[in-house]
Amino acid sequence: MTLTARVTMVRIGEQAATSTEGDVLSSVGLGSCIGLALVDDKRGVIGLAHILLPDSRDGAGSAVGKFADTAVPALIARMVRLGAVKRGVEAVLVGGAQMFSFGSKTSLDIGARNEEATRSALKGQGIPVRAAATAGSKGRTITVYASERAVTAKEAGGSELSLFGKAA
Amino acid sequence: MTNYTEMQLDALRELANIGSGTAATSLSAMLGRPVDISVPSARALPLAEAVEAVGDAEAEVTGVVLPVFGSIDAIVLLVFSPESAATLVRLLGVDPDDELAASALCEIGNIVGCSYIGAFAAMTGLALEPSPPSLATDMLGAIVTSVLAGAALETDVALLLDSALTVEGEECSFGFMLVPTADGVHELLTCLGMAE
Repeated sequence: MTLTARVTMVRIGEQAATSTEGDVLSSVGLGSCIGLALVDDKRGVIGLAHILLPDSRDGAGSAVGKFADTAVPALIARMVRLGAVKRGVEAVLVGGAQMFSFGSKTSLDIGARNEEATRSALKGQGIPVRAAATAGSKGRTITVYASERAVTAKEAGGSELSLFGKAA
Repeated sequence: MTNYTEMQLDALRELANIGSGTAATSLSAMLGRPVDISVPSARALPLAEAVEAVGDAEAEVTGVVLPVFGSIDAIVLLVFSPESAATLVRLLGVDPDDELAASALCEIGNIVGCSYIGAFAAMTGLALEPSPPSLATDMLGAIVTSVLAGAALETDVALLLDSALTVEGEECSFGFMLVPTADGVHELLTCLGMAE
């Protein structure tokens, strides 16, 4: 990240999109959550959603960004309003870890279900997944750069790794 | 139910106060040293603000988690800084670099969590059963959000009942919280005669 960059933190259940050069979107400390980055390279629009749970039909709450099935169309709509074209949008997934090793019966084993639900919602919208840093047991931070249309992931104590495009 | 009145939060805070007092007594017996507790807080927060209410999302911490099942479902989370984790483990006579350190911390989590939940059960008459603890060392944000994922299905508000335990004479304190599901909170308030 350059010092001049305007960084927007995308927290649980939130999402953001931008087409402004220099903008940076980031979700710090994704565990079982999914950080979904959408990029329309040609039109220079990026978006990021911080998804907590797989399926809005299992729960309640008014925040569309909380669930994978509602967060995906909402983020696409946000980007289209900024000039993105749906068929030009590509996806990168980060997160979906299993932080704590409980049996599959507990709801804490939710990372894999989050990834599956996000991939399925993207498929339903015809959006290809170009890269992913998911599963495992480590938390991650996702960062999306508007200028470069690039996506990176970073594990705790690790270095920032490029997943898509080239971050400066 | 996603909004709580000040009176309801006070009642929950009082539960947390008695629970953490019991937990401190157990920890003190385990370590053979006095343990102080902070005044607990009961906070209802939008999910998005829950992580920063606990601390710096990027900070490396060790989290010990005990899921609780029974009349209500909840999660007990203990958060240790690397220094406090090392001190606690050393007080139990275990080398912090030894592979036993993780199970020693889990055992502390188990004792503290079970006595806290035991006090809750005794006060409310609810049947509450803690499951065995699990541990992860990672970014605070990753640990807290993974816990919230287990409790936030039906609500956009996270209820955190938290307090801090400090071992006297040592640079050692850790945070400690109960995150009930929305249904769980309703049950708790009903038992206290405080439900709407």
